[in-house]
Amino acid sequence: MSAGETYLTASQLLARARELGAAITRDYDGRDLVLVVPLRGSFIFGVDLSRSLSLPHEIDFVELEPYHRGRRGVRLMKDLDGDIRGRDVLIAVDVVDTGLTMHYLCKTLRLREPASLRIATLLDRPYRRLVDDLPVGYIGFTVPDELFVGYGFALEEQHRNLPDLHIRAA
Amino acid sequence: MESPDFQAFRGRGKPRFANRAELECAKLLDYYGVPWDYEPTTFVLESAEDGRVTEAFTPDFYLPEQDLYLEITVMKQTLVTRKNRKLRKLRERYPEVNAKLFYRRDVERLAERLRLDLAS
Repeated sequence: MSAGETYLTASQLLARARELGAAITRDYDGRDLVLVVPLRGSFIFGVDLSRSLSLPHEIDFVELEPYHRGRRGVRLMKDLDGDIRGRDVLIAVDVVDTGLTMHYLCKTLRLREPASLRIATLLDRPYRRLVDDLPVGYIGFTVPDELFVGYGFALEEQHRNLPDLHIRAA
Repeated sequence: MESPDFQAFRGRGKPRFANRAELECAKLLDYYGVPWDYEPTTFVLESAEDGRVTEAFTPDFYLPEQDLYLEITVMKQTLVTRKNRKLRKLRERYPEVNAKLFYRRDVERLAERLRLDLAS
């Protein structure tokens, strides 16, 4: 299956990541920042955002078990490598939709007593939120209810590598 | 219809879902550990002069941590006018109540996204 029409170009995506990076750099100046990137869809945004930050920070990764595998409950398939206690954690995620995944991740990370916890999302669909109590601090683009591929977003594990973000072809 | 042993269900007894979409929504909430209850509250929308209830609305789900009611509708988009009207009335009569309507299209999209592992 091929990717559909381009929704955002690579340069638009990078420009927005840089804008977010500048805002985050201002907000986190002098703080002990850990950028947490959920695998796999967020890895390209996470890298662009990390490279847009003009302050020292650590980058770490988590991976949550996807819903469709049919286990009884969500769990971390890959946990953070580092300790976040007393540190400022910023989750760099590809999209916040229902909020269920981020709700779980935030709840899990809060148990480790970070100094602060916020979310920077590339895409946001606030009108689809089931849980609204998320610390979303930075939003790249508010997008329509479409399925996307490219820039980290996959369709059956393909197309993550595409530089642009495409609306998935029907 | 199947009714698994739910972990995050905060109601009493076993929920008896009206359709597949409700069951899938319950499984989804349960999977992510979001506490939920099924049809715990009936809101009176209209009553006669003698106090008899003439119109009421019982949203499908209540999420206590979010203080949010969810109504799932599997009707086609063109047939949801009645539900929209009920929700509007609920908001007028109970402005403090936080309620959302999930349409058939939303449920289908969500299911598709979860199969693709894109839902965050």
